Amino acid sequence: MTPLDTELYPDAASRHGKTSEAYQIARKALRDEWISGLTGAVLAAFIWFHLLFESSILFGRSVYDRLALLLEHPLPLAHITLIVVGIVFFVHFIWASRKIPGKLRERKKMLELGVSIKQAAGRWEQDTKSDISLRKHFETSLWIWQVRTGMAVLAAGAFHLILITWNVFTDMGIVGQNPGISADIAVSRVASGLWILYAVLMAAVVFHMAIGVYRLLVKWFADTWFVRKYARVFYHFLLWFFLILGTATTIGLAGPWEGILV
Amino acid sequence: MGRTLTFKIFRYNPTKDNDQPHIEAYRLEEIPRLNVFSALNMIREQQAPDLMYDFVCRAGICGSCAMMINGRPTLACRTLTSDLPDTIELFPLPFFKLLGDLSVDTGVWFREMGERLESWIHTQKQFDPEAQEERMDNATANKIYESERCIECGCCIAGCATAQVYPDFLGAAGLNRIGRFLFDPRDERGDQEWFELVSTDEGVFGCLGMMACDDVCPKDLPLLEVFAYIRRKVSGMALAK
Repeated sequence: MTPLDTELYPDAASRHGKTSEAYQIARKALRDEWISGLTGAVLAAFIWFHLLFESSILFGRSVYDRLALLLEHPLPLAHITLIVVGIVFFVHFIWASRKIPGKLRERKKMLELGVSIKQAAGRWEQDTKSDISLRKHFETSLWIWQVRTGMAVLAAGAFHLILITWNVFTDMGIVGQNPGISADIAVSRVASGLWILYAVLMAAVVFHMAIGVYRLLVKWFADTWFVRKYARVFYHFLLWFFLILGTATTIGLAGPWEGILV
Repeated sequence: MGRTLTFKIFRYNPTKDNDQPHIEAYRLEEIPRLNVFSALNMIREQQAPDLMYDFVCRAGICGSCAMMINGRPTLACRTLTSDLPDTIELFPLPFFKLLGDLSVDTGVWFREMGERLESWIHTQKQFDPEAQEERMDNATANKIYESERCIECGCCIAGCATAQVYPDFLGAAGLNRIGRFLFDPRDERGDQEWFELVSTDEGVFGCLGMMACDDVCPKDLPLLEVFAYIRRKVSGMALAK
């Protein structure tokens, strides 16, 4: 194609070439978006399996131990996953947090607008026969909650990762204990009072994951058959399914519901 | 017996010395099928002759009368007071330059956006007034038409938390405009030009996916569909290299 020649806008069709700054900036923006989105998707998928496997405690310690053994022998799947997830976890934090406004004043502005539109639903009195359909909006607040839960996951999740790395690769200084995950160790850890931390981490991670998946689906696939309406249904499913499962598992690991499904 | 409505209206005239932003309350008897725009006309005729607000068409076409009505951006002319409680709070749209009271300048922003995106058909073909118009398939024409339905009211920008913080962000109206020309087979801009224009933090990747634009758009434009298309399209452009 020959360059365009417009008198009014001489820059209209400037073709900069792949080495140009504009092209590099565009490449970087695209790469950043992919990194934050893909790492998020990987972590979401990991959390689904993690919470499902963890819930095996509801079937008793022997089922839990058998599953743990399966993931550690003969292939060190748990060890590999731990290292990969550890790296992806921090990469996701660095890349996803680039969009959080740095100044408190800016974050306040976002919050105020989000709350204003969310609360507007209660400040209108529309009936179904109204001429215009005003949809209720809560996704701006959801994004703000995604940031908050993300911070909670960063703090509690980093602690959890360190603890589990210690657990998987060493005997944790316990005489007679083989390196690796076991129901005895997990239950004693959670039941000793760490259940508070695990409950917070579980709720934060599930909330963060569900919102993230919802937004990813809408951002990339809203023009396919999987429209926003379905993505929202999927969000509610993910949120409640894993919240209920996670809560039951935490109570299971804390003692009372251990093996309740046997 | 109709209700007595209380309109709490943001008042501030930046051109007046010593004027402070404040809220003033006006009372009005509700009549059947009253909309907020007509109510504002009545208030101005009967109570506050210096009240500033914009309007042209009174029919949801010109996009001038967008304002914050009880906390959300929408068109005054399309809002019936029967959809609202007795107290109605009116504020100007955030983000845009305030001209006075409920009137903001959306025009300058939209013009700058249009120039940044070069939102006109880029083509080398000479226009031949004698020739028949080129055919376009119906699906493409419909997609362009949907994006063209934007009335530039600014509700999507006012409702976008990202735009409030990053003023260079093109916002839903800008991304929708990109979609309009990206869909158009008559626009001869190549992949690389589009890529540099769209694949930026001011462009499609500035969007955080909060979806307020989609919820507040008074014209129900398929905004999220357009954004998803653009995202995948620019990703494809990068992969094709």
